[in-house]
Amino acid sequence: MPTPFIMPKMDMDQEVVTIMSWLKKEGDRIEKGEPVIEVETDKIASEIEAPESGILANILYHENEEAPVTKVVAYILKEGETLEDIPAEKEKPVATAVVVEENADELVEKKGITFATPLAEKMAADLNIEISEIPGSSGKVTRKDIEAYATQIKDQVKPRVETPATPAARRLAEESGVTIDNIIGTGPNQRVQAVDVISASAQAVAPRPIRVQPEAGTQVPLIGKRKRTAERLTSSYQETPHIYLSVDVDMTRAESTRKRINVIADNNGDSPVSMTSYLIKVVAWALKRHPYLNSKLGDNNIVLLKDINIGVATAVDDGLIVPVIHEANLLSIQDINERLRYLSKQAREGSLEAGEVSGGTFTISNLGMYGIHSFTAIINPPQSAILAVGGLVRKPIVVDEQDTIEVRPMITLTLGADHRIVDGAVAAMFLSDLVMGLESPEIMLYQGF
Amino acid sequence: MPEITYREAIHDAVTEEMRRDENVFLIGEDIGTYGGAFGVSAGMLAEFGPERIRETPISELAIVGAAAGAAMVGMRPIAEMMFMDFILLAMEPLVNQAAKARYMFGGKVTVPMVVRMPGGSGTGAAAQHSQSLESLLMHIPGIKVVAPSTAYDAKGLLLSAIRDPNPVCFVEHKLLYKVKGEVPDGEYTIPLGVADIKHPGTDITVVTSGIMVQKSLNVAKKLEAEGISAEILDLRTLRPMDTGAISRSVKKTGRLLVVHEAVQTGGWAGEVMAVVSSSEAFDYLDAPMRRLAGKDVPIPYNRFLEAAAVPQEADIEAEIRAIVRNKY
Repeated sequence: MPTPFIMPKMDMDQEVVTIMSWLKKEGDRIEKGEPVIEVETDKIASEIEAPESGILANILYHENEEAPVTKVVAYILKEGETLEDIPAEKEKPVATAVVVEENADELVEKKGITFATPLAEKMAADLNIEISEIPGSSGKVTRKDIEAYATQIKDQVKPRVETPATPAARRLAEESGVTIDNIIGTGPNQRVQAVDVISASAQAVAPRPIRVQPEAGTQVPLIGKRKRTAERLTSSYQETPHIYLSVDVDMTRAESTRKRINVIADNNGDSPVSMTSYLIKVVAWALKRHPYLNSKLGDNNIVLLKDINIGVATAVDDGLIVPVIHEANLLSIQDINERLRYLSKQAREGSLEAGEVSGGTFTISNLGMYGIHSFTAIINPPQSAILAVGGLVRKPIVVDEQDTIEVRPMITLTLGADHRIVDGAVAAMFLSDLVMGLESPEIMLYQGF
Repeated sequence: MPEITYREAIHDAVTEEMRRDENVFLIGEDIGTYGGAFGVSAGMLAEFGPERIRETPISELAIVGAAAGAAMVGMRPIAEMMFMDFILLAMEPLVNQAAKARYMFGGKVTVPMVVRMPGGSGTGAAAQHSQSLESLLMHIPGIKVVAPSTAYDAKGLLLSAIRDPNPVCFVEHKLLYKVKGEVPDGEYTIPLGVADIKHPGTDITVVTSGIMVQKSLNVAKKLEAEGISAEILDLRTLRPMDTGAISRSVKKTGRLLVVHEAVQTGGWAGEVMAVVSSSEAFDYLDAPMRRLAGKDVPIPYNRFLEAAAVPQEADIEAEIRAIVRNKY
């Protein structure tokens, strides 16, 4: 029977997802684990991976349609199966939590153990096949299963499309370091001849002509996370009237406080608190006093949010991700620090869960580690503000009425705010409190968190 | 240097070797008073007598069988087939006895015999008297196959063939008998298994032998005026084949055409291509290897059809042009 492609449930209270795009068409071959659907919940965008390898068929929910979770959205045909094999559509009961006795098959499924006959194991080793990838037809992987699997992967190997070239051309290309694929040959069917390689390698050493049009290099497909980042930032930048306010902060006392905190952390065997963690705590304290900076725009209202969930923009290999420290105002600096370390690690490994990147009410973006002094950031909708943090720089500043100049560790904070919600004065008062919290930490103890 | 015909060169080689070595004798049909089907042995009976110019009944089986037996007991017989086509009647003594004896007796016996045979078309002799059966003979381990293209080569190669301790099939082309070439006076030999560049070139290698050498040379000279430089490699000995010379030449030119009169299917052109394919010359090929051979038909009697059945100069020329201009 064809494998049903079931839309997974990603969140406890989730009922539907919006299908943003199908990355594969009906009739395409898909591999188990390969992203097939781009979906969006009200919180995040995700890619749904193929639960099985085969041919994608009978897509039931199309792009921009909502699909119910835990229900079939398409089918995957295995070799020899056709659309006729798809069962008549009927409500499939959703698996409920029933305790059943575990049998061997379930063990196999749950613990990833695969049973195989000794001959099958030897054959798999000889063919360099991972035995756990092979579906055993009778609970156990047998010789027949290995043979079937071997035939199947053989079929998947696509014939190599090669640039036609004579043996002499190939030899010359290798000798002269010329890539034969870049040459259009003068032989029959554009076969590359020796003479083509010779002229190509002569051109390679000749002075390079000026290219008028820029030459296209690698093309990075605008899909998935990249595409969503592009779409969200474009709409935010176009629809949200941003205002920006900058302030320089003397971090002398914040830094000395953080150092003293780290003595305690060290004594307790905890990790040292980072500047970002410290900043999150102070920002959370300031947000509590300025709820418009921790709000979102509704249809006919401005919703001031009770929870203060601070997202930290984090650069990862394939783009940008914003893990969220939920209820940062209720957490100790040490808790924030531990949480941030964990989330950063998950982000780098690409294993953040939906709940760890959703629900943010305010975002901090720090480019100080790259030596950036100050910058502006685009608000992450539906949030109302974002704080761009520059690097800590020791600078001479005037410290008192007598124009005394001292060298102090300084940072520049730039607040970007949605002017529909936040007026300049409101943003300025928030920043002013934030500066006070950083420059005079005792105010936070005095006023309470 | 005196110019003599191919026929005279063969005549001289036999005569001189019979004078030099009394174990050498000629055996065949009508080789005495008549002087042989193509006149090669004219005058020999008078000089050497019927013992050494031995005429036989019409039985190729008897001729080759007797020659093989004589060779095994120390003689150096030269057997003459009136036409190459008739060697088919003598395949048993040639293939099963002469070719195998040295091997089967562990080297205690050698079979130093030569079977001369006029082959090829062009004389209006029709399907049973015009064949080029070299590939049939080349297929037999223990037999050497020689096919000279000039008077000079014919004499030098025949002396080597007579002195060789193995059975040698010496394929003469009927149309070459009257062709003259420079041949020095006196004794000289050309080693078996060594090819000869008859015309040096850089654009394409034409591997050929026998009558096709002269045709290819004429084409090469014509094309040279147009700037197409063809190297004509005359194999001279078909088995053992000079594989080194083939691959050296193809490495130089990057292109290969094989030309032979024998029919294409199963012909030795395929063997030459296999040599190139499996040698380092392969990586120097800048065009598909091609062959130009006899059509897969019996040689027709009609002279126009006969000419059309085997490669002619115009065919060779067209093929060389196409290969050099990357048409394939």
